[in-house]
Amino acid sequence: MKRNLRCCLLFCCIAAFLITLPFITPTRSLATEMLIFAIFALGFDVLIGYTGLLSFGHAIFFGIGAYTTGIVLVRLVPSLFVALIVATALSLLASYVVAFLSIRKKGIYFVMITLAFCQMFYFIGFKWTDLTGGDSGFHGVPRTSFGPVDLNSETALYFFVLAVFLLSVLLAFRIVNSPFGRVLKALKENEDRAKSIGYNTTAFKTIAFMISAFFASLAGGLYAVHSNFVPIDTLSIETSGDVVIMALLGGIGTLYGPVLGAMTVVFLKNFLSSWVGNWNLILGGIFVVSVLTVRQGIFPVIFGKIKEKIWVRKQPQRTGPEYPKRPL
Amino acid sequence: MGLQFIGVQLFNGLMLGSFYVLLSLGLSIIFGMLGVVNFAHGTLYMLGAYAAYTICYVFSQNFWLALAIAPLAVGAIGMIVESTLVRRLYSVPHFYNLLLTFGLMLFLEEGIRVVFTPIGKPFGTPPSLAGSVDLGFMFFPKYRLFIILVTAICTLAIWLFLARTKIGSIIRAGTDDSEMVSALGIDISKIFTLVFGIGAGLAGLAGVLAAPVQNVTPEMGSSILTETFVVVIIGGMGSILGSIIGGLIIGELITLGVVFWPPVANTLVFVFMAAILLVRPRGFFGRAKFFE
Amino acid sequence: MRNLFFAVAVLVLIAAAASAAEPVKVGFISVLSGPLAPIGQSELNATRMAVEDAGAVLGAKPEVYPKDHQYNPGLANERAKELFEKDKADFIVGCSNSAAALAVSDQAARHQRIFMSTSAGTTDLIGKNRYTFKLNYNDYMLAATLGAWGAKNLGKRWYTITTDYAWGHDLLKHFTGALKAEGGQHVGNDMVPVNTSDYSPYILKAAQAKPDVLVLLNVGKDAANSTKAAAEYGLKKSVKIMHALLFELDIKGTGLDTFAGDYTAAPWNWVVNQPGTKEWADRYYKSYGDRPTFMAAAAYSATRQYLEAVKRAGSKDTDKVIKALEGSTYRDFFVNPGYIRPEDHLEVAKAYLLRVKQPGQLKEKEDYFEVVGELPAEKAQPPVGIFKTLK
Repeated sequence: MKRNLRCCLLFCCIAAFLITLPFITPTRSLATEMLIFAIFALGFDVLIGYTGLLSFGHAIFFGIGAYTTGIVLVRLVPSLFVALIVATALSLLASYVVAFLSIRKKGIYFVMITLAFCQMFYFIGFKWTDLTGGDSGFHGVPRTSFGPVDLNSETALYFFVLAVFLLSVLLAFRIVNSPFGRVLKALKENEDRAKSIGYNTTAFKTIAFMISAFFASLAGGLYAVHSNFVPIDTLSIETSGDVVIMALLGGIGTLYGPVLGAMTVVFLKNFLSSWVGNWNLILGGIFVVSVLTVRQGIFPVIFGKIKEKIWVRKQPQRTGPEYPKRPL
Repeated sequence: MGLQFIGVQLFNGLMLGSFYVLLSLGLSIIFGMLGVVNFAHGTLYMLGAYAAYTICYVFSQNFWLALAIAPLAVGAIGMIVESTLVRRLYSVPHFYNLLLTFGLMLFLEEGIRVVFTPIGKPFGTPPSLAGSVDLGFMFFPKYRLFIILVTAICTLAIWLFLARTKIGSIIRAGTDDSEMVSALGIDISKIFTLVFGIGAGLAGLAGVLAAPVQNVTPEMGSSILTETFVVVIIGGMGSILGSIIGGLIIGELITLGVVFWPPVANTLVFVFMAAILLVRPRGFFGRAKFFE
Repeated sequence: MRNLFFAVAVLVLIAAAASAAEPVKVGFISVLSGPLAPIGQSELNATRMAVEDAGAVLGAKPEVYPKDHQYNPGLANERAKELFEKDKADFIVGCSNSAAALAVSDQAARHQRIFMSTSAGTTDLIGKNRYTFKLNYNDYMLAATLGAWGAKNLGKRWYTITTDYAWGHDLLKHFTGALKAEGGQHVGNDMVPVNTSDYSPYILKAAQAKPDVLVLLNVGKDAANSTKAAAEYGLKKSVKIMHALLFELDIKGTGLDTFAGDYTAAPWNWVVNQPGTKEWADRYYKSYGDRPTFMAAAAYSATRQYLEAVKRAGSKDTDKVIKALEGSTYRDFFVNPGYIRPEDHLEVAKAYLLRVKQPGQLKEKEDYFEVVGELPAEKAQPPVGIFKTLK
């Protein structure tokens, strides 16, 4: 009974927070941007937190999502639904190709290859001026209505993105708490053992990579509509690095961690960079300290402390070993 | 587009390749021994250039002094970083150290922006090395030949160090199995620090050499980092010969690409990398241990 | 009787308070941090000066809201949204970086406020939408001025070195057009990746082509590196060099000997002989310690022009101010005169040819340039219709 009450309370708090967010932040569009990157980080957590793969190239899919959406809206069909479908489909294709070339490599090596691919896609975007606008960026992305909803007002766009965000959270939750998700966790812990049981770990890793690319491109598409413009740095290594930082600071493997991490980083970046020119100094410093000390992420630690203070539960005393001792 | 022009470009490619050789040597040694992918490697290169700037322009006017001191200074910084920060993460999965160095890269780069202003610093060719040398079929700037020469000497020195000295053999053994080396009673942690210092020093040396030729800006490190990674991927992680050959290939590829095929010049390197990954996934000389 | 008197007094006071003027909010976006910060900062200084000088507009002193875009178009987009939505700016001025200016222009159209682009060069801003006004220089003007004057005075064989990004491409396109119109010969071009520090291969190629003039379609660090290489390989002895954009900042940073004798085009410089220039430049120098760039002068002029238009229109209402600006001719030390074309909201004014002095010729601090020629507005600016028009 008490547990249900607590859950309800938590849910209400979260709902209240999300509904009032655009009115608390300095501008509505900042709140929308926070959610967009939360979607990005959510998908990224599936890859890094649940599959154990660190990619420094996810800006590729964010950028593909953004540019494709923009190009479809401006040059093909002014329908956001179609644009997002095409964007995510294209990004799934790209992620399959990238995964094919790199997923077999062990952790560290995989990181470097994804970084190199990110740079490659950046240069392609930079040079292919006819398609992307080059370093000028792709301008004039309209805010077409999604069904009956006119997205021109910042508030309307926020609630639309909120809806997409909630759907994404549900999707991510479903994925990680499914048999598929359990295999991912298994192979994160010990890939050889998973392989020996008979799982095609390469296939699972590829699918996880593609899932995270899907979320990234969805976020990218929303970003294009939100900004009415796609800058070239959506494809940059800095963007890839940003989502890594957001996920890590937030707490990988928790789903809520990277979401909160993304929202916090986007908020602070916007808020602080107008005052402090050297925002990267602070971010880099916090990141270094966090990697050294609170590796599991800032939010899990905070929530853990809150849980201790507020949600203390009395556990029945357990004596004796949980499992029978094995003979040596 | 005469022979002279092509000759000059080939030599320019060698010069650029030299930077990649020094950088990837350092990166490879650090990875080979410590298992750490040093994202801050480009930043160490940048620190080398700024150290040279400080020594040359703020204190004495002597480039040779800078050439001697700056790499040692950067090496010392590397050793400090290893012993205070990197060392703490050896017991956890490797990618945490990667992330640590990534955070350091952001922090140090911004720090240099604060200390030295974001505007780049001027750095002229040292007067004793100015001018061109007549190589018979073409003229080539003396300083660039100097870069190639210094890199060659350095690479030879590193090879001799690793192959012929006692510490070198400990390092080579530690690269294979550091626990075993430790079990034999050798203080492996000091060796780790030394190796990180050598890697950092090599990066710093590249930075000093690059200062008169490249722009000395806080961003110079991050822009060269990705290509350095490509060199290591192509040459093979942990392999010295791979770093050398990979570095020279990438240097030539970039230089010739920019001159002869500008539209795709930047992407050429990555396409080449993708091709190598398909054909020889370990790189030219990669060792099995690091991939499977 | 006394009560009536008080009541009336209170009513009058309330009425006065209600109609108390809301100040005009001047938004400013430019690069205020990073290597290009001095330019953005000079623009901001000038904008503030303009607001001071304009005095009360519609009964209140205008306010300046500066934002830093760090030379990043994505950030510029965000800042423009902030200015329009949070700060309720009536007008934005400035914005260096062509991609950033395009983004701000789109936001201006979305929010239906005025944007005066003074520090980006792309001709895509000309006639982009009715809310955008292009003042100061543009790439066509730079190219036409260099081409027209140079073909007549320096020689017919031209070699270009272009930085390989959107601005470079835009410049090259206009330059080749201008050169053809003047009967010049374009003997070669090199596309150089951004941030290249080693220009020796390109200089060597250029030398082989034996041009009369080497045109450097780049700015800032790229301009410095390319010129240094040209000097290093002795090219400057036989070939004249022209820069698309060259600032006192670049000369200060790299050294006068590198740039001595080079030519560049500009809509203004603090040494030109236009009435009011010396006074304004001296005022700026006294307040801020260095000489103003033409970016700063443009920001000052644009802000004054906007505020004067508001005064003329009698209101901040965007449509009324646009009507007041279109077709207006303005005279100050920066544009003498400057005419804002109603067809595409481009302000046309004349252009100057400047040459960098030799070391030893300087009469005072930052006296780097001398005027060697000028081009009337009809020749320097694009005719109506070459770019987008609004009708």
